[in-house]
Amino acid sequence: MSSFPMLTLLTFLPIIGMVIVMMLPKEKRSLIKITTLVATGLQVVLAGFMWAGFNYSQAGINNPATFQFVERIPWITFDSGSWLGMIKIDYFLGVDGLSAPMVLLTALISFIAAISSWNIERSVKGYFALFLLLDTGMMGTFLALDFFLFYVFWEIMLLPMYFLIGIWGGPRKEYAAIKFFIYTLFGSVFILLVMIGLYLSVNEVTGEGATFHTFNILSMMNPSNYTQDGILSPFNPDNLRFIAFIGLFVGFAIKIPMFPFHTWLPDAHVEAPTPISVILAGVLLKLGAYGIIRFNYSIFPEITRELVWWIALFGMINIIYGAFCAMAQKDFKKLIAYSSVSHMGYVLLGMASLNEVGLGGAVLQMFNHGTITAMLFLLVGVVYDRTHTRGLNDFGGLANNLPVYTGFAIVAFFAAIGLPGLSGFISESFVFLGAFKVESIRLLTIISAAGIVLGAGYMLWTMQRVYLGKLNEKWTDLKDLDFREYTMLVPLAVIVFLLGIFPSIMLDLMNTSINELVNQVTKTDFHSIMSGMK
Amino acid sequence: MTEFGKILAFMILAIVFVIVGIFTAYLIRPHRPTDEKLLTYECGENAQGSPWVRFNFRFYIVALIFLIFDVEIVLLVPWVLIYQEYGILGFLTGFIFIFLLVAGMIYEWRKGDLEWDRPESEKFMANTFKLPKLTLPAKKIKEEVTN
Amino acid sequence: MNLTSTDYLNILPLLLVGAGILISLTVEMYSKKSVGFLSWFSFLLHLLVAYYSLYTVNNVSSVFGGMMGTGGTVNIFYFIFNFGAAIVALLSMDYIKKAEIYFGEYYILLQSAVLGMMLMASATDLVMVFIGLELMSICFYVLAGFQRKNVRSNEASLKYFLLGSFTTGFIVYGMALIYGASGSLNIQSIFSMLSAESTPILFYVGTLLFIIGFCFKIAAFPFHMWVPDVYQGAPTSVTAMMSTIGKAAAFSALLLIMLPLIGSKNPQTFTPLFTVLSAASMIFGSIVALAQTDIKRMLAYSSIAHAGYMLIGLAAANDTGASGIVFYLAAYAFMNLGAFGIVSLIEGNGDTEGTIESYAGLSDRNPLLAGLLALFMFTLSGLPPFAGFFGKYYVFIASLEAGNVWIAVLGALSSAISAYFYLRIIVVMYFRKSDVASDNIITESHTSLLGIVISAILVIMMGLTPGSIVRLINSF
Repeated sequence: MSSFPMLTLLTFLPIIGMVIVMMLPKEKRSLIKITTLVATGLQVVLAGFMWAGFNYSQAGINNPATFQFVERIPWITFDSGSWLGMIKIDYFLGVDGLSAPMVLLTALISFIAAISSWNIERSVKGYFALFLLLDTGMMGTFLALDFFLFYVFWEIMLLPMYFLIGIWGGPRKEYAAIKFFIYTLFGSVFILLVMIGLYLSVNEVTGEGATFHTFNILSMMNPSNYTQDGILSPFNPDNLRFIAFIGLFVGFAIKIPMFPFHTWLPDAHVEAPTPISVILAGVLLKLGAYGIIRFNYSIFPEITRELVWWIALFGMINIIYGAFCAMAQKDFKKLIAYSSVSHMGYVLLGMASLNEVGLGGAVLQMFNHGTITAMLFLLVGVVYDRTHTRGLNDFGGLANNLPVYTGFAIVAFFAAIGLPGLSGFISESFVFLGAFKVESIRLLTIISAAGIVLGAGYMLWTMQRVYLGKLNEKWTDLKDLDFREYTMLVPLAVIVFLLGIFPSIMLDLMNTSINELVNQVTKTDFHSIMSGMK
Repeated sequence: MTEFGKILAFMILAIVFVIVGIFTAYLIRPHRPTDEKLLTYECGENAQGSPWVRFNFRFYIVALIFLIFDVEIVLLVPWVLIYQEYGILGFLTGFIFIFLLVAGMIYEWRKGDLEWDRPESEKFMANTFKLPKLTLPAKKIKEEVTN
Repeated sequence: MNLTSTDYLNILPLLLVGAGILISLTVEMYSKKSVGFLSWFSFLLHLLVAYYSLYTVNNVSSVFGGMMGTGGTVNIFYFIFNFGAAIVALLSMDYIKKAEIYFGEYYILLQSAVLGMMLMASATDLVMVFIGLELMSICFYVLAGFQRKNVRSNEASLKYFLLGSFTTGFIVYGMALIYGASGSLNIQSIFSMLSAESTPILFYVGTLLFIIGFCFKIAAFPFHMWVPDVYQGAPTSVTAMMSTIGKAAAFSALLLIMLPLIGSKNPQTFTPLFTVLSAASMIFGSIVALAQTDIKRMLAYSSIAHAGYMLIGLAAANDTGASGIVFYLAAYAFMNLGAFGIVSLIEGNGDTEGTIESYAGLSDRNPLLAGLLALFMFTLSGLPPFAGFFGKYYVFIASLEAGNVWIAVLGALSSAISAYFYLRIIVVMYFRKSDVASDNIITESHTSLLGIVISAILVIMMGLTPGSIVRLINSF
């Protein structure tokens, strides 16, 4: 199995699709769409194979030996004398229990978004080419184990997203696209600086016994790899690890989006076309949380331990603030955007617990939020296609003539609220269980629990305004779901039910890795090295 | 005293010398000005008009060409003194320099910069520098007043 | 001192360009219709020299009794100048017809400017630096005013000339003071003189003046006043050249002369100065560029900001910094050449000349050019995986290595700010419908397109595998 470049194929399959799309003539719209569908579909199949071949007992996290499907070849290695210096960057992909759920999510959401893109009319060719490029960027970001490679994928993702919002977006698309771009870029320049700082502080010994600076994330997690005087080295008494943690955290928090960096999200969601909203909420937001777990937690464990209270605080603010904002919205999409802010707060809170239950809940919540919010955006897209309005007060009583659609909506809404038996319940309760165990953040957890009530409040109120009551006269001749919409919504609904009843499907996948992660965060001793120095 | 100090002393001395000289002359010379004496010196001719007139820029080109070939002499003198030390290569190096000057000279010649009368230049002057007309505020005010 | 024929062989790139100038002169004076020939001749000449300089990149030597050095970084600079000039020659072929400056002298001046730059890069003696600098600058003064009937172009030339000759005074004065302090103009002698005894204050004053003079040439704040006007007024192909390889030449002198000189005692002596200059340039350039409505002026301010990024490398004053600047210069040269190449194609003669608004809907009118310009804008804003990102990455690495953290943070912030105005071009091209399309005809030019595409390929190649160009040429 190891000889088969599974992860490379998983990552670059969309690029192959993109090349084919680029070569197809502009007029062959359906052929372009089918190519995209096939590429993303194959990606789902490959992700399934990866899952089937995944060894549940190997942890990954900080040990290259227990990562699976690892591919590692030197990418940029040159020593061209005095004028360009020396650089060593690896093409290093691997998957562990932390990234595996995210890979599955990315493949699934991309496939569903591809179906949802079927009714795109304007410059189809450009749209699907960018769409596939975005897919590659997301997949690569989750799989990269070399910081530099990660950064490149991270930025590659930015470009297509910018164009997809900017060209195919709504009336205020220019503003939304630029805001999205500038916010993310602002965050990523900090990530870049921390990356360079880490690169200069970490040494890796190669086979020939020579030491190189390295971008290898796994090497950065081991205190013994650090140089004596690197600016981010624990051996250096004047190190800047605290500042670096903050910089990295802000860079990722913008993507989550964490209060007060969240303001780009409602704009981007409202202006983006439905499939892009689905991807944005389903996958892109997870990248921020994934980045914090993968980088901040594992590379700066000692500072993470110091700052958990603050992470929990921001989690709480996200939950409560997001819920209140959602309650005040009159636009369907904006409401779901703010509910995303609120739900990503649970992820932050779970992460702050630093125990198996809380972190497991956080990662599961990332997956569940991905599916549930994707479903919610698809549902908004369905009515928007038919009525061309998203105002919550323009609807009413849709249950009367769209019963099947309303059924799906009820599943999604209740999953978002956290009804037992649906997936949202499991992850939210895990988050609270984990967070409640921790003495220092108990008060914050208790306040956050109010978010569930608030969440139920705005969700139920929305349901009442849109689906229940007397049917608005304007919408008497709306049609119920067609076949394409079934294919998008049914898989997601199945997953929501399945993970609500058998959460162990996902939990087993990540269990070993989460344990190892907790071990890494709580046990790795960067401090004693520092105090030993002083 | 450093080398710079000596130069400073020299400069101070020079300034003092001039001031003392002029001041002494002022004290002891007779003072009988006439109209002729107060005129600007122009080779004995009576001065005519203001010196601030536009010169034809052809003078400038000629002066420039003169200057280039003048500087050439300055550069060739040290070469003459030492070229033997460097053998045939040193000798040829000097010739490269002269060759470049000759090339420049031929170029000027071909381009007609050595001609005094250049029919093209008048055509050029007529077509170029169509600067936007500036309305001077003073003139404008005057017009307004007369109106 | 011995004069041998090896000395002449070692400066073959310079001799080739010199011979090229003489041939061009001769052809130009005997034939009225030689412009077409001269354009292709310049292109091939510079391409040949670019190739040859990379081919002999390992041939490091000092020639003419320590007046000049060759090989290594010097040859990399030769490559940047000549390859850049070759692209400029391609871009100029149709542009100079449109701009009504279809004269053979254009190419002769272009070649002479490149010769001046090469002298600057190879000089190891302050007098040689000065000769190179003047040769380059005088050609640029003339080229900037080449559109004799255009008031803007005249203004650009005069402004550049007056300010340029003023700062040349600084450089000469600085050189004189350095001479006074050390008794020599040769870098090697100055170096040994200074390391033997305590450094006189006069040396620092001289160096400071020297740096100020060159900060003018590289367009760093606060010596940038000429940049927007000159970039806007000069013919676009000339602007492309001035802003890329002209800047590279000035940097080459700063890098190859000043770094060893300052490094003689304490490499970080001038770090505070360079840090402040760099921070001011980055922030000033980025913020003022936000408010520009003319694309050439915007690129001018962006050029000031980029000078700031490169100065980060000088402030770091280490080897990584030096190689970072060289890489950055190469990357910047090609991305800016591409961007100005596209500007020169789209530039109209009417009132819409060069405004950002006139790019509205370019993606519909000419998707290829729009895509290429978007590529150049992305690389200018420093996004991976393009060359501009690696340039920034190198200088940031250098400054973090030198422990100069806050300038790297400022650089990162200012590059986030600058993303806004680069993106604005893309927004206008892609997200807006064109309303001025009819009176803005895009010039059809295969040669310009070739030049732009070559730049784009280089930008992508240097981004994906930095260093591949050097390796490629060295391998055979």
